[in-house]
Amino acid sequence: MHLLLLGVSHRTAPVELREQVDFARQGVPAALAALADRASIDEAVVLSTCNRSEIYTACNDPLAAAEDLARFMADHHGVDPAALAPHYFRLVDHEAAAHLFRVAAGLDSLVVGEPQILGQVKEAYAEAAERKRTGPLLNRLFHASFTVGKRVRSQTGLGEGAVSVSYAAVSLAKKIFGDLAGLHVLILGAGEMAKLTAVHLKAQAVRRIVVASRTLQSAELLAGRIGGDAVEWRELDAALEASDIVITATGATEPVLTRPRVEAAMKKRRNRPLFLIDIALPRDVEAGAGDLEQVFLYNIDDLRAIVDENLARRAAELERAEGIVRAEVEQYAQWLRSRGAVPTVVALRARFEEIRRAELQRLDGKLAGLSPEAKARVDEITHLIVEKLLLTPTEQLKAADDPSTIVAYSDALNCLFSLTAGDTERKGHGRAATGPDEDETSDPPKTRANP
Amino acid sequence: MYILSLLFYASAAVAYGANFARRSERAGRLATALLAAGAVAHTFLIGMERMQIGYMPFVGTTSAVSFFVWLLALAYLYTEMSTNERAMGVFITPLLVLLQLIPTLDVPVLGARPAVLRSPLFTVHVASVLFAYASFALACMIGVTYVLLFKEIKAKHLGFFYARLPSLQVLDRMNMRAVTIGWAFLTAGVVIGVVWASQTNFRASDDPRAQAMTMMDPKIFVAFVSWGLYSFQLFARRAIGWGARRSAWLSAIGFGIVLLNFLPIGYFLTKSHNF
Repeated sequence: MHLLLLGVSHRTAPVELREQVDFARQGVPAALAALADRASIDEAVVLSTCNRSEIYTACNDPLAAAEDLARFMADHHGVDPAALAPHYFRLVDHEAAAHLFRVAAGLDSLVVGEPQILGQVKEAYAEAAERKRTGPLLNRLFHASFTVGKRVRSQTGLGEGAVSVSYAAVSLAKKIFGDLAGLHVLILGAGEMAKLTAVHLKAQAVRRIVVASRTLQSAELLAGRIGGDAVEWRELDAALEASDIVITATGATEPVLTRPRVEAAMKKRRNRPLFLIDIALPRDVEAGAGDLEQVFLYNIDDLRAIVDENLARRAAELERAEGIVRAEVEQYAQWLRSRGAVPTVVALRARFEEIRRAELQRLDGKLAGLSPEAKARVDEITHLIVEKLLLTPTEQLKAADDPSTIVAYSDALNCLFSLTAGDTERKGHGRAATGPDEDETSDPPKTRANP
Repeated sequence: MYILSLLFYASAAVAYGANFARRSERAGRLATALLAAGAVAHTFLIGMERMQIGYMPFVGTTSAVSFFVWLLALAYLYTEMSTNERAMGVFITPLLVLLQLIPTLDVPVLGARPAVLRSPLFTVHVASVLFAYASFALACMIGVTYVLLFKEIKAKHLGFFYARLPSLQVLDRMNMRAVTIGWAFLTAGVVIGVVWASQTNFRASDDPRAQAMTMMDPKIFVAFVSWGLYSFQLFARRAIGWGARRSAWLSAIGFGIVLLNFLPIGYFLTKSHNF
């Protein structure tokens, strides 16, 4: 059994094409149902986000299955296969695992380290598992990917720190005020940046947003767009006093919020914290205002510096995250390889046991004179001999670490001992036709995901 | 027996350190478990002593230190559980370890309590004052972390503490709550002490310690100073509009005075409270 991944992502396909092959349009369940009819694949998980459409499968013949999947991708979305062909990527076995692990860790995301993707991977798996479209390979693969995602998030700083100016402002506000619900926000000016930050704050359920502008009309316009209230410019001092967060973005050439003005407001506020975000150029807030007790003044350059620092920190964490991915891929690959040897080991042992029993039966007459104890001893000794003989070959098989060696060993053993190794193959094919069978799924995935 | 709780506290301190430095959730859970184990061992110890002598074992400064450590451990654990915030552990546990060294190295001798202390008010007085001290210790550590985080945000350098501490608002709220609770218990403890002193004619006692129970005794005097400071903190916050940073500083200074009163004055200078 092999792991096969076929998909398109923001790295391989333009957004127009990604939209065309987005499984979310017709629903992932429909895609899973359609995939169930394909004989070439046994298990399937469909991962569909705005940046990627990927199908993870388990199959016996990756080459044939990949062709089949590519056809499916084109047919299902009604896209010309030729147009799609240059953009999809396909990965097999440990490379497919490495890809999923990197995706789950947020390493393959547009904004590296973003946390949503792990949830999307979990959803994609749950969707398939619910419909019994996953089996041992994908169960273990996806559970391992959750582990990778969790480890990267908790053990590296990859997802830490805001990487956009407006988000940096929001996270600073959270560090000052804790919960932003119940806070009053004042916006001075009606620029685009002010609007963007206000929208971010609005999403944090602040209690009230007030917009003040030189002309009431433009204040009302912005207030209407973000769901706030407009106030007259001359009511600025009262509004300042009532606000916890102030975003300034006026086109004024002189500072609007001078130090004495802020100081007066702080006095009335009884030194409750005030967060001033000055995104205007030239500045709207006099620099000295930032020295006042409980006033936190950040201008656009300060916020950019934070963003740059966070980006640099994320980059420094990349290597650690990749290390975690490598370690988990190695573990999964090891498991996958050892699975390759298992049927041969089982068949070999069965063959030896069969020979032992046959010989004991043949010699039954000659052993008839022995006491039951002595007979038991003979049975035990022959068993031990077989075990001893099998010990080294079994170990060697399980330790073989590249698939070609395993295949070569297995072929040799099959041939030399005329093993009935077709057993497992037949089982695999039967499963493809009938969907997931009891035998394959009886192995509880959870215990294997967290050995 | 003291060594057992000391070892638990010390290993909890190490685990809290690892939790804070590496932000490892596993180390954090281990730290909480170790601290809880220390508190359980300590509870058992205090319970055994109580059963042995028939009254709460906090006659003498060393016994009081042990009881204080126990209260602080419990108060911190309660705070951690109720706020789901572990960052303060790295600041609290070293204090537990340092103070618990005192009863571990100089195991208090248990015996009959001096005649002047044979009063039902004894337990209430000592317990409420020590509980107030534990609250002040928490407030102090919270205040210190507030100042650290405040400085980072003001300096626009978001680094180590920014990534590890809860928000300023949360720290401030925890600080004020701890100070308020501590102030209430200190007030109660002091009032009970005064009532007790006025009920009993200590002057007539032949115990020199009882005779020294006046405002002039350094321990009693400094206790009133710390009460005054915490009263001022609460007042300044509500009435004058002092900000959270100044409150945080007052919490830190306040506990400095409390600790001064508790240890050096308690051991070497007081003539009234050296039992």
